[in-house]
Amino acid sequence: MRRLIWSLGVALAASPVAAQNVVKIGQIEAQTGANAIYGYMSSQGLALAVNQVNKAGGFKVGDKSYTVELLASDTRGDPKEASIQLKRLLETDGAKFVFGPFLSNVFVTIEPYAKQFNGKFLLMGGATRIHDFIGTPEHDFLIRTWNWDAGPKGFGNLMVDRLVKETGAKKVAMLFQNDQGGKVLVDIYTPLFKEKGIETQLELFEPGTKDFSAVLAKLAVGKPDILFPSYSDAPLYDIVRQATEGDYFRKFFLVRGSLGPGLKNKDALDDYFVYVPKYFEQAEKTDPKIAKFVADYKAFYKRDFPYDQAPLCSSSCYDHLFMLIEAMKKAGSVDDVAKIRKELLAMTYDGLWKIHFDEKGEEVFNFDVVRMKRGGQISVTSVDVQ
Amino acid sequence: MLQLLVGQTLNGVIVGTLYGIIALGVTLTFGITGIVNFALGEFMMIGAYVTWYLFDVAGLPYPVAIWPAVAVAAGCGFAADQLLFRFTRNNLINGLLVSIGLISIIEAAALLLWTTTPKDMGYVLSGAVRLGGMSLPKMKLVVFALLAAVMFLTYAALSRTWIGRAAYAFSQNPEAAMLMGVRTQVLQSTVVVYSTALAGFGGALYATLYSLEPSMGGLYILKGVEAAILGGIGSLIGSLAGGIILGVTEAVGSIYLPSAFRDAYGLIFVVAILLYQPSGLFGAER
Repeated sequence: MRRLIWSLGVALAASPVAAQNVVKIGQIEAQTGANAIYGYMSSQGLALAVNQVNKAGGFKVGDKSYTVELLASDTRGDPKEASIQLKRLLETDGAKFVFGPFLSNVFVTIEPYAKQFNGKFLLMGGATRIHDFIGTPEHDFLIRTWNWDAGPKGFGNLMVDRLVKETGAKKVAMLFQNDQGGKVLVDIYTPLFKEKGIETQLELFEPGTKDFSAVLAKLAVGKPDILFPSYSDAPLYDIVRQATEGDYFRKFFLVRGSLGPGLKNKDALDDYFVYVPKYFEQAEKTDPKIAKFVADYKAFYKRDFPYDQAPLCSSSCYDHLFMLIEAMKKAGSVDDVAKIRKELLAMTYDGLWKIHFDEKGEEVFNFDVVRMKRGGQISVTSVDVQ
Repeated sequence: MLQLLVGQTLNGVIVGTLYGIIALGVTLTFGITGIVNFALGEFMMIGAYVTWYLFDVAGLPYPVAIWPAVAVAAGCGFAADQLLFRFTRNNLINGLLVSIGLISIIEAAALLLWTTTPKDMGYVLSGAVRLGGMSLPKMKLVVFALLAAVMFLTYAALSRTWIGRAAYAFSQNPEAAMLMGVRTQVLQSTVVVYSTALAGFGGALYATLYSLEPSMGGLYILKGVEAAILGGIGSLIGSLAGGIILGVTEAVGSIYLPSAFRDAYGLIFVVAILLYQPSGLFGAER
């Protein structure tokens, strides 16, 4: 009897302690640096979502419980840094799901390396250039987490249509950053405008430019009806301010960036037409999910909610973690990437946004168009593209 | 087209004075301490952010907000000098490495304090002066006048005061200056602090024109160094001239050529001048 008890004791002591089941989620976004605004908001949303999942005790797939470990790296918008971070995530940390990047110049640098892991992981990023690769051979690892501008459900088409109908614009001056993101926008929007019979002028500016007087003056000579400027708030604040101060332009059309620059100069401009994934100020009042998200953000980060930056959170952020978990549950696995991808592409998720992916993995979500007139008079149109 | 050319030439002159104030700091520091302080752009950033905070957040009137901003930038400059730069006097490489390291530290601190979200200060002086179809923002004219005044006052102080003469003497012959009673350590520290104060002042004015980001200093130090080289290292008037020439070249170049390569036009001009006059436009012949 003593021997039996002793044997049982040894057997129990020798049995391994049940390992914590953890799903590693990587993120490679620019959280600092000149182009950090998109990555910064995405990373905040994802960290909040991870905290909520883990605080609720994790999630179950089959009969196993899992928690989420977030491995978020700051790429500083530097493609080389992003490559190093991605390599560490895939080869050292063994992450099978990576969010990011939002920046196209980062994506085109990491793509050749990431392709080597096709079928072994999923990269869920918002970069515009992802569109050129998604759905092509050896790129099953790609899922794009931002509305595509062109195509039948493209928000660009809808925006240009509205621009023509509501403003009657016949000539548009385009002013974009001279980088991958800017050049892709040129490639998308020049034909869209041409289709609608709108004449275009184009100037590119160097990243880091602060004084836009020369280029604005140059564009203004052609007497366009509206200015269609760049994609991140950092130059947008300067462009809108200098355009109105120098009397070059008072009407603006945007498909990237936020309402912030327009609000700052609301008494100096005539029209500010912007695509925002969501106008949080209004949505908070009408949608309980948004109200809860705002409250959770404030409680978690202990600071005010950044209303003008929050719309950027739609990319590779809050909702997407919950979608990924739901896909894992339906697939019955946390590491069968092919099955999880199939479930992701099959679902329609109704979270902060109503999201689904097309057959290639390009995201489609409802969005808002905000139009602000002089003095800050705002009208919001919600567009359902489902 | 003539209006565009004249307007952008004037704009280039104004923007050039911002380059010039940094160039002045570069030339002063190099002339007296023998090091190029690449972190001057960060002291400009400090001045800009403190001004924004005091004006936009604390609600102080702008003319009141500038001075604490300059004082903070100068204070940080003093700390940097005492803790770091005084150990690298006349050692160009060490001074360079230290200043580059300081850039990372200051930028990281700014990111922690203020994040990447651009800060756009409220209008200090709105409106523009219209001159025959051209539009020049009033605040830009004020910035130009203030910066030019500071630069000329600096030149006058260096030419007419004892400390100025001591600085010139030191830059020509440090041993002789020491023998003549010039307290060289104090002089060098004073110049470093003054150059960071100038950068802080430039930042306080910059904040009235452009949005702020922690990385803003990087561009301006490069422009400042270019302008200092173009004007001639060691020449104070050359700093202003170099800055203005750079600003005008960029602005006018952007009119006739693609604006995507604006920075290159100034650089090409700098290279062209240096091929003809290696010491810069106003630099001493060697």
